[in-house]
Amino acid sequence: MRKYLLLISLFCATIFAHAQVHFPQTEGERARYTASIEMQKAHISGICIMAYQEGRINGSLFNEFGISAMDFSYVPEKDKVKLYHVISMLNKWYIKMTLKKDLKRLIHTLQDGKNEYVNEKRHIKYIFTPLIASEDGIAE
Amino acid sequence: MKKFFVLLTVLLSFSMLISAQTLSEAQIRQKINEVASQMKSMQCDFTQTKNLKMLNDKLVSKGKMYYQQNNKLRWEYVSPYAYVFLLNNSKVYLKSNQHNDVIDVQQNKIFKEIARIMMNSVVGNCLNDDKDFSVKISDIANEYVANLSPLRKDMKQMFQKIILHFNKKNSTVSMVELVEKNGDKTVIELSNVQINSKIDAKVFTVD
Repeated sequence: MRKYLLLISLFCATIFAHAQVHFPQTEGERARYTASIEMQKAHISGICIMAYQEGRINGSLFNEFGISAMDFSYVPEKDKVKLYHVISMLNKWYIKMTLKKDLKRLIHTLQDGKNEYVNEKRHIKYIFTPLIASEDGIAE
Repeated sequence: MKKFFVLLTVLLSFSMLISAQTLSEAQIRQKINEVASQMKSMQCDFTQTKNLKMLNDKLVSKGKMYYQQNNKLRWEYVSPYAYVFLLNNSKVYLKSNQHNDVIDVQQNKIFKEIARIMMNSVVGNCLNDDKDFSVKISDIANEYVANLSPLRKDMKQMFQKIILHFNKKNSTVSMVELVEKNGDKTVIELSNVQINSKIDAKVFTVD
C-alpha cells in the first residue's frame, strides 16, 4: 500500500513538473522564475515573471518583497529587448545597455531549456530557476 | 417657527451623533500610537499579493512575520519561494536558496531604510514619520486607513503611496498596500496576529 501511494505521489509530481512552462513560447503562456543576478562584488535576488502577450514576451523583475526592479519586453521577430520603469538605482545608460544585451541572451538561453547565462566580459551570472507552483503559492 | 426649531434640533442632534461615532485624525493617531508604544512583540502569518500591471498577472506569496522591540524583525517567505529577511539590531541577514548574506544597516543606507520602513509599517509607527511621508488618516467602517504619500526623492521614485489599514478593535495594522510608480501594487494581509506573546529568541538568530 505504501509503495502504491509513493508511486501515485511520484506520478503526480512528474505531471506537475511537466505542467510548468520553462519559457513562454505561445500566446498566453506564462513562466515564473526565482532570479539571481551575481556580479563581482554584489548579487541581486528576486522573482521574474514572463508572459507571451500579443506577439511579444513581456516580463517583470521584482524583489521578494514585491518591489519592482524593471519591466521589459522582447519582440521575437526583431530579437530586441526594451526596458521600462527601471528602478532609479539601475537607471543609468551604461547599466541599461548591458541589461538589454544580457536579457536578450538570457531569453535565448531559457528558450534552449537552460537556466543560466554568464556575461563573461562583465562577469555577471544570471540564474533563472523556474518556480514550482504549489497549491496555494501561486494564484491564477 | 416651531417647525424651524424642530428641524434645527434634529440637525444638531444628527451632527452630534456623527461626531460621537467617528474619531478625528488626531484621536486616531493617538490611539494607534498608544497601542504601538505598548507593543513589545508581534507575530503573524502574512499573504502578499503582487499585482503586475504590465502583465495583468499576480503572484501570491505566503510567510510568517515576527517582531520584537527593539529592532528585531523576522520576515520569512515560505511559499512559493523561501526567503528570510532578518533584522537584529544593526545587522540584516538575508537568506535565500542560493545565498546567505549579512549586511550592516549602519553602513548600507538602502537596507537601513528598508528595515526601518518595514518595521514602522508593521508596528504602525509610520504615522509619525513626518519627514518621510505626509499622512492622511480616515475612519472608514470597521477600520482606520492611513494614506502615506512619500516626501523624499528616493521614496517618491519608488512609491506613489503606501496605505496602512488598521483594525479598529485593537488599532493594529491588518493590511499594507504599496502602490508603485509603474502602477504595480503589492498588498500584504496579516492574519493570526498575536500581540505581546513570547517569541523564542532563536527566531531572531541565523540557522
